[in-house]
Amino acid sequence: MGDRLVVRASPTGLGDTVVVGAIVRRSADPSEVARGEYRVLMHLDQLQSLIGYGDRVDRFAVATAGAAATDRALARINDAAFGFQAYRSRDIAVETSQTFLVVSRFHRAIGVITIVASAVFLLCIMLLKVDERRRDVAALRLMGISSATVLKAIVLEATLVATAGSVLGVGIGVAASALVNAHYRGVYRTPLAFTIVTPDVVAFAVALSLGLGVAAGFFAARRLTRVHPLVLFGR
Amino acid sequence: MLLTLVRASLWRRRSRTALAVIGVAVSAALLLDMVMLSSGMRESFRSLLESRGFALRLAPKGTLPFDTEATIDSADAVMAQLRANPDIVTVSPVLGGQVHVALGRGTVAAVAIGIDPAVQGDYDLRAGHDIQRADQMVVSDQFLAATGARVGDTLRVAGGYDAQMRLLIGERRLVVAGTAHFVYMPANPRVVALPIATLRAMRQTVDDPVSLFMLRLRPGADPATVQRWVARAIPRVTVISTATALRQVDERLSYFRQLAFILGSVSLTVGLLLVTTLVTVSVNERLGEIAVMRAIGIATRSIVLQVLVEGTAIMLAGSVLGLGLGLVTARYLNGILSSFPGLPAAIDFFLFQPRDAWVSLGLLGVCGVLAGVYPAWRGASLPIATTLREEAVA
Repeated sequence: MGDRLVVRASPTGLGDTVVVGAIVRRSADPSEVARGEYRVLMHLDQLQSLIGYGDRVDRFAVATAGAAATDRALARINDAAFGFQAYRSRDIAVETSQTFLVVSRFHRAIGVITIVASAVFLLCIMLLKVDERRRDVAALRLMGISSATVLKAIVLEATLVATAGSVLGVGIGVAASALVNAHYRGVYRTPLAFTIVTPDVVAFAVALSLGLGVAAGFFAARRLTRVHPLVLFGR
Repeated sequence: MLLTLVRASLWRRRSRTALAVIGVAVSAALLLDMVMLSSGMRESFRSLLESRGFALRLAPKGTLPFDTEATIDSADAVMAQLRANPDIVTVSPVLGGQVHVALGRGTVAAVAIGIDPAVQGDYDLRAGHDIQRADQMVVSDQFLAATGARVGDTLRVAGGYDAQMRLLIGERRLVVAGTAHFVYMPANPRVVALPIATLRAMRQTVDDPVSLFMLRLRPGADPATVQRWVARAIPRVTVISTATALRQVDERLSYFRQLAFILGSVSLTVGLLLVTTLVTVSVNERLGEIAVMRAIGIATRSIVLQVLVEGTAIMLAGSVLGLGLGLVTARYLNGILSSFPGLPAAIDFFLFQPRDAWVSLGLLGVCGVLAGVYPAWRGASLPIATTLREEAVA
């Protein structure tokens, strides 16, 4: 900070002296993530003069008052302009976020595999948990408690376990998201949010784990209650 | 005897065993994928870099090859300096840019690489012949498809386009000499290779720029020594060896290695928990049997071994199934990541190497043994008389 540097457009070109006035942080631009080139910001006229650009610019950023005004401005500029084109910021963001779109597709695919693994794991655990209580179920049935009541009790238990697991899972997810953001913001020196826990994501995760948990409990319990109590006792 | 008992124990609860094997298979598939992801991208990139025999690459100071539009000026002087070093046997200059092909209906833009045909390492010729004159170019199949041209055709190609005046700049008539596969380009590239002097003339540059030099060293030369020499002799360039490039790639794509580590650990833990739970429940159900076996004189060691083999058998059966499943999912996931913008088509994120399969199998085998430790200890340490009495009452 405060040092004087000579900058040139090319190693042999004419230079200009500049003072390092500030250090800026990167903007939240996905296209800048993982890029390592050096970057300086200068006054427009100074840069134009340095690189012999005349009064040309590469692009204009235009602020508008709302979506309708954006549409009108876009139409007017594109109708009137010759040699250049106006784009919505959103469209440019989509173009420059291609890398993140690929990563997002990859995450979805990994998510599907994880869900399958979780589903099988959950089914196994519920099956074992219910199966472990063969004798309890047999005793309840022999005491005269109906299969339906036993089934409901087991499903209720599975629901409670799944609910507790979901709440714990949401907590772990929120904490993991905060950790991931803190870590990768540091690694890539960007204010971008890498993971966001939205209500939709929480609702989907909870619904999925509850649904899987209850379904696994139901199938395991139904399998057990269909067997004769004496068989469950091993007779 | 031992194996018969293990088989009988697992067969008794067939559906449970099958479910556990499926669970382990999914975990094993994910583990294999993550092991492949953690090393595949690096190995794939290394083999791409080494495939053409160029050990060093020179880019403008502070950049990676073709990462920015920066160029190395006065390239002829740099080449003369490089050729003075007896360890350097080939210097291949490359200039990147864009060209515009004038067609009746408008223009088609394409990536252009200016090369020295005698020493180029950017493409393998597929059809036609290589560049022999200044007005010839070698193109990709996608370029031909986009322009509708064929080998032997002459096209109007410009080195620039003035959007305001809608004028082509630096136009030349170039002949399509042949088609080629461009090894460092993304899938389906629209690209042309032409003599570097022609591209410079079309771009109307005056200071003979290049984007990149690729250096081939004499056999036995140490790349690190030459790298240090170039860094001292030509301070305005960044010298990138294969090791440096791999380090840079590691830094940029560290996310995938970390993801692979986390997901691999999670899948291993899930598999371990699953098998531990299953074997523990299985042992709990057979406490009476185990007590009887110990009462009639069967050694504790045999019982421990039986439980350990039970856990390992489930783990290995799931692993074998999972390895096949992992290869299928890896191919699918690789297809997704291969569509990264600008990524050379030759790079695979999920590259299968036999070592990966052995690492996955080894980790899962160890987990299988670990999964049996607690239930085996439980089965071996139960008081025989008390257990028999409790089981008899139950």
